[in-house]
Amino acid sequence: MTIKKEAPLRPVQSVTDLCHTCGSCSAICPLTGAKGFNPRKIVYMAIQERDQEIIDSPWPWICTMCGRCEHACPMGINIVNVIRTARGMVDRKNVPLMLQKGIELGLETGNNLGLPDEDFKFIIEDVASELADQPGFESFQVPFDKKGANLLHTLHNKLVNTQNEDLVHWWKIFHVAGEDWTIPSRNWEGVNWGYFSGDDEVMKVFVGRIVEHMEQFEIKNLMYPE
Amino acid sequence: MDKTKITGRVAYHDPCNYGRKSEELFGHGFYEEPRWILDQCVSEWVSLHPDKGTQYCCGGGGGTLQTPYKEERFIYGRKKIEQIRQSDAQMVVLPCHSCHGQIKALLEENHMNHIPVKYLWEVVADTLIVDAD
Ligand code: SF4
Ligand code: SF4
Repeated sequence: MTIKKEAPLRPVQSVTDLCHTCGSCSAICPLTGAKGFNPRKIVYMAIQERDQEIIDSPWPWICTMCGRCEHACPMGINIVNVIRTARGMVDRKNVPLMLQKGIELGLETGNNLGLPDEDFKFIIEDVASELADQPGFESFQVPFDKKGANLLHTLHNKLVNTQNEDLVHWWKIFHVAGEDWTIPSRNWEGVNWGYFSGDDEVMKVFVGRIVEHMEQFEIKNLMYPE
Repeated sequence: MDKTKITGRVAYHDPCNYGRKSEELFGHGFYEEPRWILDQCVSEWVSLHPDKGTQYCCGGGGGTLQTPYKEERFIYGRKKIEQIRQSDAQMVVLPCHSCHGQIKALLEENHMNHIPVKYLWEVVADTLIVDAD
């Protein structure tokens, strides 16, 4: 298994015919030069099957997979896919630690912080009661696990962690608009680090939990924060 | 909406995922929707330039905020800082949690933290006219 095969550049016979080393990708990438990185080099190395060099380097993790390079590529080479495939081929113990830990906790507890469900509920209700002290929001409450609601709202873990003050913006809008919404009381994580770490299996678990909520609570619309 | 609540020029940053990447993967880039929302909430706003499909990433996307490569994130962000300077804006607005964290850190690093960073939905919430409950 090599990056070239796993991340097939768009369907062509020979990948080497594709990149004509024009450098448009490298010219537009804001990261070109940092830690010796540039996207043309990555594409070229992937073509040459110098996978291990890519995998062992910090390059897959400093690229933000923003897609600006491939947007500029005259040959339509999907460079982001090359990068993410390389991430997926990195030995799991060499994945940046914070991603590793978040994923481990996410799989185990339903959120990347490893926050127990009771504590989650406490934080949410505490912030909600503060909002209910404001004029116009007196009747505000957070509806957990509401069957048949119109909208399922998952949360970015940082709002539950260090940035509680940013929880209320959507709540205010929902309240004034009369939206029929709900949040899950467990498996509430709205960030999928399986996508970032290049691990499709992990990504599926996290997506599956949201699908499960939608089915269980019979909800048609999802509001996903990332 | 009360358009007088936010004074001064606001700059809008297009996140990669709602724009270019959504366009490529799902066939629709959310370029006009946030602009329509801004029109309802603030009286003066501009896009960071270049914008929409050719915008630059903030430098904190793709999980890079969860890596130890802080210095590279600051190198990446030079373009964004330059754009913000050129926009002459007093506030940056965006609809993405990663962009929010990264651009805040960039402004701090560049001694520009007099410029607040707000979520698009925060701007909506802040400019709502709230009736008695
Ligand atoms: S996807 Fe990566 S290589 Fe391409 S422009 Fe963005 S940061 Fe650079
Ligand atoms: S823009 Fe495309 S063709 Fe040009 S060097 Fe980069 S990958 Fe190769």
